[in-house]
Amino acid sequence: MDKRLQEALEFSKYKNTFNIQHKTLKEKADAQLTYGHNGGLFKIDQSLITFVQMLIDQDRIKNVVLLDYNNNPTLVEDLNEFKDEIFDRYFSVVNEFYASVTEMKKSRSVEKLLDL
Amino acid sequence: MTKGILIFAHNNEYVDYAKLALVSGSLAKKYLKMPISLVTDKHTLEWIKKSKIDSDINNVFEQIIEVPPPVTNNNRHLYDGKDKSLVPFTNINRCSAYDLTPYDTTLLIDSDFLIFSDALNNYWDVCDDVLIAESVVDAVGQHRLGHLDHHISDTGIKMRWATTVMFEKNEKTRRFFNLISYIKDEYEMFADLFRFNPLQYRNDISFSIAKHIMDGYTEAETYHLPTLLTVLDRDILIDVKNKDLIFLFDEKNETLAGKIQGRDVHIMNKQSLIRNASNILESI
Repeated sequence: MDKRLQEALEFSKYKNTFNIQHKTLKEKADAQLTYGHNGGLFKIDQSLITFVQMLIDQDRIKNVVLLDYNNNPTLVEDLNEFKDEIFDRYFSVVNEFYASVTEMKKSRSVEKLLDL
Repeated sequence: MTKGILIFAHNNEYVDYAKLALVSGSLAKKYLKMPISLVTDKHTLEWIKKSKIDSDINNVFEQIIEVPPPVTNNNRHLYDGKDKSLVPFTNINRCSAYDLTPYDTTLLIDSDFLIFSDALNNYWDVCDDVLIAESVVDAVGQHRLGHLDHHISDTGIKMRWATTVMFEKNEKTRRFFNLISYIKDEYEMFADLFRFNPLQYRNDISFSIAKHIMDGYTEAETYHLPTLLTVLDRDILIDVKNKDLIFLFDEKNETLAGKIQGRDVHIMNKQSLIRNASNILESI
């Protein structure tokens, strides 16, 4: 086989392994960013965080009703506690995702990607 | 209100479901920190003793619920990479989970579903009576799945995956599980109605139809459990390092290596899971 083609195919295998791992890391982060609260389910994202912070800035803190990801009303008794929980979770998940992807990018072979 | 996890394990001559349940139960107990019970039969219990995993089983499961061995003439092909065997499908009594569970709210999981996170703990208090995994995602890519992985037939309703089911004991869920039992008993009639292939009984199909009927024959916007990350049975789990599961994936007849870490995963290749059971148990 032509060396150029062989090298390209080797890189292609590396890239496929990289993509599988990147995809599973992304899905892992998505799962970790689902947050159950008082019977509702929330997807923690930038818009939820911004909206919650805006409500707090407006002094709407006690007994606030939010729509969860199924648009069902959910009572949040203390929005400050809710905000702390979603902030902590968001940044711990995103930071872990970032660290994992950075580590993956440094690994330039299938063996290193898999820690073999 | 008690909460707990339930796993069914009925061995056959090809698959050691007891060992799978030990792995799955150990991981679930570690990551969800919930009590777990095992539903099994006397033959499987004898095998548990004979294979000397009885003390491990007793450590992991707070209750062992013995039921009569399910009788079935249902067979299916199980793949282990490229090898395949025709094996009896004995996991047909999941409709009895409602009557057997010792918990008020139960997470029912398959013995080949491995939990590596606390993601499912978000769902215990969700306001819905029955939660089922709504869909599957393939570890390599959605292109490896077909229409029948997402629907019960070419023209049928959406497939729900009974690999993970959470339910609260109440009148509605009692009716739900009774309906599943009826669908199982009248499987061919429902196959006519819902246009699916009845040759092999599938829990996923019975649960999907029951959910569809109980939701008022609609695709209701309800809550569901997380999408299942699935590794197909033509893929092979080859090693476990720390908490990383290392696979050889079959991609268009080429082999790709990849790993999954920190993510709940449904591994359909049961034999490769059994081969790596000790490694997984050691890593816990």
